[in-house]
Amino acid sequence: MTADVTTPVCEVINVWTQFGNTVIHKNLSMQVNSGEVLALVGGSGSGKTTLLRHIVGLTQPTRGEIRLFGENLETLDRDGQKRVRNRFGMLFQQGALFSALSVFENIAFPLRELRQFDEATIHLLVMHKLALVELEPHHADLLPAQLSGGMIKRVGLARALSLEPELLVLDEPTAGLDPDRSENFVELIKDLRLQLGLTVIFVTHDLDTLTSLADRVAVLADQHIVASCTIDELGSMTHPFVCNFFNGVKERLERFNKPNELIKHGK
Amino acid sequence: MSDAVFKVDEGSRVVLTGQWSLRAAGNHFAVLQQQLGPFFSQPKMLWDLTTIEQLDSAAAALLLTGWGGQLGERVLLRPEHAALFDSLQHAHSPRHAVDEAPLDEFAVHPGMLKSFVLHLADFITLTGLLTLEFLYLFRRPRDIPWKEISANVYKGGVLALPVTALVGGMIGVAMSYLMALQLRKFGADIFIVNILGLAIIRELGPILMSVLIAGRSGSAMTAQIGVMRVTEEIDALATMGVSRTLRLILPKVVALTLVAPLLLFWTSLWALIGGMVVAFFQLGIGFEFFIEHLPRVVKAANLVLATVKGFTFGLTVALIACHFGLRVQPNTESLSNSTTSSVVTSITVVILLDAFFAIATRSIGI
Repeated sequence: MTADVTTPVCEVINVWTQFGNTVIHKNLSMQVNSGEVLALVGGSGSGKTTLLRHIVGLTQPTRGEIRLFGENLETLDRDGQKRVRNRFGMLFQQGALFSALSVFENIAFPLRELRQFDEATIHLLVMHKLALVELEPHHADLLPAQLSGGMIKRVGLARALSLEPELLVLDEPTAGLDPDRSENFVELIKDLRLQLGLTVIFVTHDLDTLTSLADRVAVLADQHIVASCTIDELGSMTHPFVCNFFNGVKERLERFNKPNELIKHGK
Repeated sequence: MSDAVFKVDEGSRVVLTGQWSLRAAGNHFAVLQQQLGPFFSQPKMLWDLTTIEQLDSAAAALLLTGWGGQLGERVLLRPEHAALFDSLQHAHSPRHAVDEAPLDEFAVHPGMLKSFVLHLADFITLTGLLTLEFLYLFRRPRDIPWKEISANVYKGGVLALPVTALVGGMIGVAMSYLMALQLRKFGADIFIVNILGLAIIRELGPILMSVLIAGRSGSAMTAQIGVMRVTEEIDALATMGVSRTLRLILPKVVALTLVAPLLLFWTSLWALIGGMVVAFFQLGIGFEFFIEHLPRVVKAANLVLATVKGFTFGLTVALIACHFGLRVQPNTESLSNSTTSSVVTSITVVILLDAFFAIATRSIGI
């Protein structure tokens, strides 16, 4: 258990992914260190979500290796896999809440699966997680179909956080939220990150989310990571996708650094 | 980094050390809770948490529950942990959601009669809507959804041919074999033709066909309409000005009603063939004789009756399937319940109708 601090949370080593004749990833490598927030960006169909699914072990790459907390999920036995999987939480793009279960049961689900807590403790923890994602206690009884898009994301996040994970994997955390809510959601993730000391990997198309949340950006283009650096350093890249992309980012970064002007102009 | 441990000093102080969190793989909180149990109940016990390495909300919740939701003077904390306990205490609210798990809600049905009346009302509404669409199509024949009807005929009819033939044939074989053994005892071999002809064409064929289409097409229709409701595809159709009854329900009902009598004859045909083959091997009744003798003992009225049954059963299965499809709520539990209900109800209603037919037509064709 005592993985020392220097072990990267997630390592992707020379990964190839191939569907039929289509090559999605070609010799792709990247690394996520403990405590950092990594954004994975790239054009539509560049294989971001596929890479994310590889990382959480839903699919296996054709070749190459993926290590989470220094361990390769593929080679572990069932208990080992369960142990590693309990150390990260994932928020799916559509929330992926269990539609037949209430919000309370959804968040309690991973805790119940652990079979270590009694009902009173589970109740306390679920209510704590609800408060953590800024939902009201009375929301606990609602079914997922009764929730708004933003609430679904929050409940999904609460569920991902219920086992106190070290790593949080977010697939398009702000897709489908209006700018106001998406900003709130990003603030929420930032807060949680500070409170809980999380490592975060997220995929996004939204440049606002990217600029305000990410410590480091990994750009996926031409089947591999073409850039992995801070947002500012993206400016010195010559890759056409990165240049194109960075122009959008730069504009936002300027606004982001002068929030007062944003208010004057934007609202 | 080490697993969570505690020791008791002089019987009046519990000192917690190590990593009190889910991240330490060696921790098992149920065991810890059990071990701590006796100390939780001693009100004078002092709790020292200042030497803890790491404390997460799970462990904190466990401790707080043990202390009865209150910290009090007896707990020594580091300031950063105090904040955690504070937020947990704030989150504490009356337990209301825990007692009734939502899964139970699906198991508990409202009064049987009430639910039956609700279903009946919905069913009548659906039939009414369909009738209105038919009237509309009389005025606007251009709007008849030919493509959808044809697709449903193919899915519900053509693709069902192999399975109905197989099941029909096997039932024919089994029945004929059983009958042959009995009839031979009485020397009444020739009556195998009467028995097979009447039983299969009048009763077995229609029931077999209905059970098969209820399981095959009915369940598929319910699931399809149900998922379309869940994914709001039906709403999307409505916003495009397309009537869901016209585009989704009507083609299914029309197609299955048209296809059912045909499938019925197909099933009966294979059942008769199966029976004929066994009759030949078991009783030595030749194919030619069997085919020649059949029309003499089974009157044409039976075919008319079978056709009427085919239409009725096809219509029933399709209507019930669509009815349950439209009642699916946006969750997986409801989808599975509706699909099950659809198939079970279809088969039950078909058998009830068949009994009704049997009594009403007892003097026809025998």
